[in-house]
Amino acid sequence: MITDYFSRLVCLCFASFFLVHAGAGVAIALLIPAALRRAEKMPARSAAAFLFSLRLLPFVMASCVIAALCVPSYLLLEPRSGTEPLGGLCATAAVLGLLSWLIAAARAVVALGRTLAFERSCRRSGSETRLAGRTVPALVVESRLPLLALSGLIRARLLLSRQVLEALQPEELDAALRHEEAHQSSRDNLKRLVCLLIPEVLPLGRCLAPLERSWAKYSEWAADDQASRGDSHRALWLASALLRVARMGSAFESELCATFTACGWGLEARVERLLRTETAREGMREPGRFAQHRELLLIGAFTATIVLLPGAMACVHRLLERLIQ
Amino acid sequence: MLRFFANRHTDGTVILGKAVSLGRLESAVMEILWADGEGRVQDVLSALDRGLAYTTVMTTLDRLFKKGLLDRAKQDRAFVYRARLTRAEWERHRASGLVAEFLSGPGPSRELLLSCFLDAVGTHDAPLLDELEKEFRKRRRELLKRGAP
Repeated sequence: MITDYFSRLVCLCFASFFLVHAGAGVAIALLIPAALRRAEKMPARSAAAFLFSLRLLPFVMASCVIAALCVPSYLLLEPRSGTEPLGGLCATAAVLGLLSWLIAAARAVVALGRTLAFERSCRRSGSETRLAGRTVPALVVESRLPLLALSGLIRARLLLSRQVLEALQPEELDAALRHEEAHQSSRDNLKRLVCLLIPEVLPLGRCLAPLERSWAKYSEWAADDQASRGDSHRALWLASALLRVARMGSAFESELCATFTACGWGLEARVERLLRTETAREGMREPGRFAQHRELLLIGAFTATIVLLPGAMACVHRLLERLIQ
Repeated sequence: MLRFFANRHTDGTVILGKAVSLGRLESAVMEILWADGEGRVQDVLSALDRGLAYTTVMTTLDRLFKKGLLDRAKQDRAFVYRARLTRAEWERHRASGLVAEFLSGPGPSRELLLSCFLDAVGTHDAPLLDELEKEFRKRRRELLKRGAP
């Protein structure tokens, strides 16, 4: 395939991204068991931040390499001559890279579309209100379904069904809403979108899915910890709210067909954590923002170091030449 | 195609049943009955103005009756049909059905950008809930005894 200067740059970007991203992704995938064991020893919030950073690591690494090394070296050192043929490896990697991005983008768009449709359904079957003591607006859905969720990426909104509102005692509702507000302050919905937007290691693979699942688990636990805030009574009210909502779900067997698989970390694990006094106090310990994502900062620092090395650009350019051939 | 949950009225209470989908003709027929309140086959056929056969409209109305969306009463040897739900009730239950559908679907349909208080709402193991409830009550008694903060 014969390509001109800028087409070659685009192909090289996709190809380099795919190769670096896949390499880093496979390495991370192999380290997942060790990472999960490490996360078990951390407070929930730190574990969630750690696992989210690991999920982002291949993407950040590949992006840094492209932005800081590949593109600058190509623009500085590649002669702006006419056309040049593109080798099979480069073309294949470029196609796979493009495919990974397209699939990720499609996944994110579908999820956004479904979420917006769901919110529209809730608005049609409900009414907006402000719950006492809460800054986040709420949408009360006229449904007997046990709905209690936080929607929105930037401007959050609570979605809850009339039945949940009426069934929970004030202290239970307060604890449950604090849990949702903790998700808001952690921007967990935005993080969900980010996980969908960034490509997987391979176009149709899901080898980093265990990281995402574990992140989801620890982010729930972190929200529980933040809702209880070292207060054993509040932890108890939260546990009580969980059990009450869970019982509502059981009443709708004929309508809801999803089985509660729990994945080993659902209701049972959350309630047991909340009933343990030491867990209630764990929520008081919060790592600093930089400490939460130090892995990503290290990658950035490492890339900056490489860029500043003499001859780095020339070396990268030679690698790109080999890739094209 | 419209999807919604059919309603069965028992003791005046509306409950949710199986999901029902409507075709384009069925939707058009429902619109006519909402606008006019009630109608016979001939009335609906005239309102449709599509050049359809009498039997087609008759079959559609019968189908909607069997789906539980219409009531019918015999008057002068012909059935008079009327909608069971008002349009507002229809919209609300349709939306409610969509909410339920989103919450209850298998994996792919659960990929919503939401933080749910209790994920995977569905059938819960009753013995598990009872066990957890027991643990919870025991813990509450301990805390009340200690007078913990």
